[in-house]
Amino acid sequence: MLNQIFVKPFVDMVSAPDFLLQVVWEGLVSGVLYALIALGFVLIYKSSRIFNFAQGIMVVFAALTLVGLHENGVPALLALPLTLVVMYLLAMAIERVVLRPLVNQPDIILFMATIGITLFLVGFGELIFGGENKVMITEQLGIPTGSYTFEPWGGLLILEQKDITAVIGAIVLVLALLLFLNRSKMGRAIRALGDDHQAALSVGISLSTIWVLVWFIAGIIALATGIVWGARAGVSFALEVIAYKALPVLMLGGLESVSGAIIGGLMIGILEKLFEIYWGQPLMGGNTETWFAFVLALFVLLFRPQGLFGERIIERV
Amino acid sequence: MNVHVARSGPAKRLRADDGIAKGEQLLVVDNISLAFGGVKAITDISFDIAKGEIRAIIGPNGAGKTSMLNVINGFYHPQQGTITFRGQTRRRMRPHEAVAQGIARTFQNVALFHGMTTLDNIMTGRSVFMHQPLWWQAIWSGPALEEEIEHREAVEEIIDFLEIEHIRKTPVGSLPYGLQKRVELGRALAAEPALLLLDEPMAGMNLEEKEDMSRFILDVNQQYGTTIALIEHDMGVVMDLSDRVVVLDYGCKIGDGTPDEVRANQDVIDAYLGVPRD
Repeated sequence: MLNQIFVKPFVDMVSAPDFLLQVVWEGLVSGVLYALIALGFVLIYKSSRIFNFAQGIMVVFAALTLVGLHENGVPALLALPLTLVVMYLLAMAIERVVLRPLVNQPDIILFMATIGITLFLVGFGELIFGGENKVMITEQLGIPTGSYTFEPWGGLLILEQKDITAVIGAIVLVLALLLFLNRSKMGRAIRALGDDHQAALSVGISLSTIWVLVWFIAGIIALATGIVWGARAGVSFALEVIAYKALPVLMLGGLESVSGAIIGGLMIGILEKLFEIYWGQPLMGGNTETWFAFVLALFVLLFRPQGLFGERIIERV
Repeated sequence: MNVHVARSGPAKRLRADDGIAKGEQLLVVDNISLAFGGVKAITDISFDIAKGEIRAIIGPNGAGKTSMLNVINGFYHPQQGTITFRGQTRRRMRPHEAVAQGIARTFQNVALFHGMTTLDNIMTGRSVFMHQPLWWQAIWSGPALEEEIEHREAVEEIIDFLEIEHIRKTPVGSLPYGLQKRVELGRALAAEPALLLLDEPMAGMNLEEKEDMSRFILDVNQQYGTTIALIEHDMGVVMDLSDRVVVLDYGCKIGDGTPDEVRANQDVIDAYLGVPRD
């Protein structure tokens, strides 16, 4: 038993490095997506201290809108910007109808309001698009579907083109977000707003403008995630759960940290894949990916309660 | 960020002159009443603030001083009465619009952005002047970069002025209380306000810190010509600093005038000041 836990997995890794590489790659692809979704959470949390329960359904809603528009005869490359417009309108509606009336309410009330948004979007989405599964319009969007084959160390490594596209796309999005957050005055305003609503208002930062903006960015992230994950697993309401895979990422990375979300996402993506293949399947019959990330996050929290990268604000009392 | 800041004279002032002469009315509060449900916070209060003066608002706890400040800066909307600022009578207004019109403030309990540095905190005070489009800001070049540098100069000037160079890069959450108050003043100054509202700027300070803060308030008033309205409980400070004092009690105005007049007002003595022991 000990041999199987502590020795054999590592022997396997070394003896088949090409397979190890394949596993790491698969993990990396998931990890990039986890990081992207976690960023959506972080952004909204930073600017409003709201944990946005609706992030998952926004992924579904964005993907359904895209596919739905295409099904109704809109060309794919036009459907994409149109979906963005829809996500912007959604952000505006959420700010106007849900957030604005609840300003100054306790955080937990706003959190519950996002559960309300989730339930509403489930019903609304089913009403418009129907409940049946749809296929993501991968090819129509010009995403290549072939694959590259490499033979490192005489082994075999297959990289699917759509995974590569997903990784590159996610990296570009993440970099754009980082630039935006760190370099623009909006970034500073977003951080300021998260710190203290009253003070932010008093220096002339408009609550509604920033909120619409961050919810729209969360919508863009949702669309990107929806396209990539939808291409792998089909577009259905089950996609919603992908968002909850980002929860351990947030526990690990801290709710306020952008870099935490990125590194946490990659770490969890890769580690859960490694664990599944080398320990989970031989020892526990597999399917460890559903819970491993949470265990890992809890383990980290034992030693660093603020997460790996969370802000540790020292309060003088 | 490594921006070389050229120190060539004071930074450009961005706030246009409003043509109101020193001593004329800058802000007029007319018959304001404010109630929260059945609780009357302010009843029928009128007073004015003249350009260039330091105007103190005093009164016992719960007299409605902070509510008055919140009305002036748009956090609360009074049920009755009007506020006229720079000759314009205001309709319902949101707080972020107040600062655009030239009203900045500090808070009773320090309301800084605790995770951010002193420099960034004060930079947020410039938000109201930054208009370059997002894409320029995002790629950190072009007009947005020039804009940022220009505002950096103005902010550095304020940092110099308040003598807080040594804590520029320190996250404000870890600063002692007196310095936090000073940073908050800096953030309000960054908006180049025509009217600066200070809510108990000296609360919880020791004597030395109070003296420093008093000096800064006077300097702001004299150097920048900023009109100041302040709430303060330390009567020594109030009487020394202010040109005129308005006294509130239970939401009503019970006195208004120069420090000497107010000190001699029997209502004010009964309600707030008390009788000197000797």
